[in-house]
Amino acid sequence: MNHRGGIALIKATWTSWLQYRSFFFLLAFGWMIPPLIYLLVWSTAAGEASIGGLSRGEFVAYYLVLILVNQITYSQTNWTVGDMIREGSMNRLLLRPIHPLYDALASEVAGKVVYLVFDIPVVAVLALVLHPEFHPTMIEIAAFLPALVFAWMLRFFWGYWLALLAFWASRASALLAIQDALIFLLAGQVAPVALLPGAIKTAAVVLPFRYMVGFPVEILTGQLGAAEISSGFTVQLAWLGVSLALTALIWRSGLRQHTAVGG
Amino acid sequence: MPGEIIKVDRLRKTYRVPEREAGLKASVRSLVKRKYTDVEAVRDISFNICSGEMVGFIGPNGAGKTTTLKMLSGLLRPTDGEASVLGFVPWERRANYLSRISMVLGNKSQMLWDIPPLDSFRVLGEIYRVPQAELNRTLEELFDLLDMLPLLEKPVRNLSLGERMKCELVAGLLHRPQVLFLDEPTLGLDISMQNRLRQFLGEYNQRSGVTVLLTSHYMADVMALCPRVILIHQGKLLYDGELTGLAGRLAPFKLLRITLNDMHAENCEEVLPKEAEIIDRENGNLTLRVNRSAAPAVTAHLLSTLSIADLTIENPPIEAVIDQIYQEGSV
Repeated sequence: MNHRGGIALIKATWTSWLQYRSFFFLLAFGWMIPPLIYLLVWSTAAGEASIGGLSRGEFVAYYLVLILVNQITYSQTNWTVGDMIREGSMNRLLLRPIHPLYDALASEVAGKVVYLVFDIPVVAVLALVLHPEFHPTMIEIAAFLPALVFAWMLRFFWGYWLALLAFWASRASALLAIQDALIFLLAGQVAPVALLPGAIKTAAVVLPFRYMVGFPVEILTGQLGAAEISSGFTVQLAWLGVSLALTALIWRSGLRQHTAVGG
Repeated sequence: MPGEIIKVDRLRKTYRVPEREAGLKASVRSLVKRKYTDVEAVRDISFNICSGEMVGFIGPNGAGKTTTLKMLSGLLRPTDGEASVLGFVPWERRANYLSRISMVLGNKSQMLWDIPPLDSFRVLGEIYRVPQAELNRTLEELFDLLDMLPLLEKPVRNLSLGERMKCELVAGLLHRPQVLFLDEPTLGLDISMQNRLRQFLGEYNQRSGVTVLLTSHYMADVMALCPRVILIHQGKLLYDGELTGLAGRLAPFKLLRITLNDMHAENCEEVLPKEAEIIDRENGNLTLRVNRSAAPAVTAHLLSTLSIADLTIENPPIEAVIDQIYQEGSV
């Protein structure tokens, strides 16, 4: 492990990304649009009544938190990893005495900082205009923070092992598009998981995608009881373990494949 | 032999590449059933290199040079054979090995594109765990040798190709590698930048004692820097030895260039000895090809029978020699 090098990489990547602030702001704006649409749809539909136990103000709170969580956990780096393998620029990283994962983590961290500079003020303004109903307890906040960190790790490593499949199939990034689609459907974007119909809801609770976005949002907006929170953490950590194991395994055999056929 | 730090023993690399004809039908068929062909990129290459040596690794495009360098720098695993560099097996990719070597590719960059080079150097310094004071010293020395202080403030994307290559060299050397693999370092550079880099590499090799394996298509690079060359062609080693020896072995003749005093220009053929073959003639200037061993006698004969204004004896140009090898595929 070479943390010193990793930290230096993060700093440098961040400096170089800051030069494209406006580009990243535009990206962040694009990612914000779908949840914003669903915010308006659900809060309008709820009107003065409530849907599935959520009032208009609660929908607003849910989606505003979701916008931030989605942005914090979104791993755009994984798209680059696949490209680097396909185009051979992974070799540049493989020459260094540091795991290429650090390079991906560096752009992850650098990216988050740049995006949040844009997102936090926008969400704050939306909150002033749309009046969310938002009263998190200390316990919910305390549970939210680790859930958020695990959500990011799960989303990152899940995407990372998918991206590493580029060692065998050059267009493996198509799988990342599928991941995004599943997240859109099952992770609480199109609707909060609690509102999904029977079988789909079961799928959402069992599969990893809800634990990449929806789960921490549900915790913070008070939709989950203690039992649901603890079972949620169990599933989340289990999937995180699976994705870490898959990443390690696929990295090792992918590298063997790469060094056998050349990049 | 003591001091041998690169040992390559019957190294072999065979790529399996999917075979596919052009066209939609073929591409659909290849989805179901793929045909593969084996391409032998490197076949049974063996050589040893001593510490501090500067060796030119030459051969036509596709000869297997880059494949060999990639195996030695740990990017590729050979199909067969063994190699050890600094006592490590390169493709085991130990961090201890990777931090002792460097591979500079003329067409790939280690620099971050959007920040000034100095920032990239600092990051690499951290990655290679170079202590701060030592890094500053090394950088200062490299900047000085390469004369690049004015470049350090601009983002890399604003630098010219030659300036960027200087940066690549600094990036590749700041951790003071013991072995340096250089793949086409002068690719696409203008003649004075080529000279500048050659001079730098020679000087740096003298100073630091780094062992260098260099590929280049510019024979001037090899002539200026490498007393020894390894020539490969279609994956096979054709020659390993002194560059001058290569010319001697392949082209056992000399070129005599003579300038005659005008009046003898017309009928000089009659007095030429049979060993001399005219390969070029322009008024009173003649270029003759003469067997190496016969050169002294022919020269003496010419001087005694013709009225000569000027005479030079030369080796055939190395480019011509190399071209002949590449075309014929043998030495």
